[in-house]
Amino acid sequence: MDKKTKAIVFDPLSDNNPITVQMLGICSALAVTAQLNTAFIMSIAVIVVLCASNTIISLMRHHIPPKIRMIVEMVVIASLVITVDQVLKAYAFEASKQLSVFVGLIITNCIVMGRAEAFAMQNPPRQAFMDGLGNGLGYSAILIIVGTFRELIGAGTLFGARVLPESYDGNGLMVIAPGAFIIIGLIIWLQRTITGKYEEA
Amino acid sequence: MQKDELHTIKFAGIVCLVCSLSLAGVRQTLRPIQLENERMDKQVNVLKALFPDFDPDGNELSEADQIRLFTEGRILRSNRDWIQRYFEEFITEETVELPRGREGTLYRLSRDGETVSFAFPAEGKGLWSTVHSYVGLQPDLATIRGVTFFDHGETPGLGGEASKPWFQKNFKGKKLWADGEPVTLVVAKGSAPDDGSNQVDGMSGATITGNGIQRFVNTTFRQYNETVFSAMRDGETEIEGDS
Repeated sequence: MDKKTKAIVFDPLSDNNPITVQMLGICSALAVTAQLNTAFIMSIAVIVVLCASNTIISLMRHHIPPKIRMIVEMVVIASLVITVDQVLKAYAFEASKQLSVFVGLIITNCIVMGRAEAFAMQNPPRQAFMDGLGNGLGYSAILIIVGTFRELIGAGTLFGARVLPESYDGNGLMVIAPGAFIIIGLIIWLQRTITGKYEEA
Repeated sequence: MQKDELHTIKFAGIVCLVCSLSLAGVRQTLRPIQLENERMDKQVNVLKALFPDFDPDGNELSEADQIRLFTEGRILRSNRDWIQRYFEEFITEETVELPRGREGTLYRLSRDGETVSFAFPAEGKGLWSTVHSYVGLQPDLATIRGVTFFDHGETPGLGGEASKPWFQKNFKGKKLWADGEPVTLVVAKGSAPDDGSNQVDGMSGATITGNGIQRFVNTTFRQYNETVFSAMRDGETEIEGDS
């Protein structure tokens, strides 16, 4: 992997993380992270959709008429998300029941549309794929971190298996959305302290 | 300008065509598997409510085995044959009449001609969504044998706990009928008092889901009771009288 590709894949993991730096996709990060299991499946679904949509849109980038650019992107993304949803319903039924509407809502996840607009429209397919992978992984990393804290503190389990002693009652705040807000806030704080990067107010 | 617009329309048409065709293809290919999953899911839940005390080969299951089966979710997809055989050999499904001309379903688990348990579907509003459930009764048509809540959109970790074994196994042994009349099963706020009252542990942070469950389990039982169960009670006393 040359240096540029490396940057495309690894930048979104921290320096340009879609959630903590670009502030995209926060809604779903709140919704699906009460349990690690759902966070994990959601991560995979988003990575698949992001890679595929970036690649497809990049392949079409010279042909897409500028006037209907965003609608075309939307149609591609929506088709991919529905496909992923259908596949989950067939091969990961339990998980798809738990994720309920949130898989469908990947369509409205700003990361997917954002990467299509900002990257795939200007870059060749291979790089666009890598960009999708990087951003998907960056999103997943935050989801898994948040999910780990929420499930551990909220229920005392990880992937449904008990980790903390049976006597641990669980913290209700971690289970509901505000708990996720607090954790994401703390992650952003920590990340900015370490990297020393701040956004200009 | 003209050419541009023509290109736009053509492009949009092609994109729409390709997308809809591929989606139709995906749906068509996966539909049979999805239907099978849904059927399986329903059967697993019926079985959980019927709470069998013997395995498909007819071996007795101890109380501990039953609880384990229930709480570890061993009645699962990996046991397709297991479930399939149960449904073919031991479970009958009949359509029954409910008050005000409605129809209901009654599942009956029997072994060697004797009924082991009954189950009926119940559903109602939780906080966000309709919660589906099956309620299983002992042959006395009064005591809960097993219960399952599934297919809901309640908050995971709060109301969503309704689909967890710890919540469902509390229902076992509770009464819906005593001394010739229906009794109300109460979903407590927090832990149920240990005084033998007819209460089950509630889910913390999910009062409305709990209330919903309490309401629809009790009302659905009463509906079934009014037509089906009361007739069965009368019927069974007669049969006993004959023999």
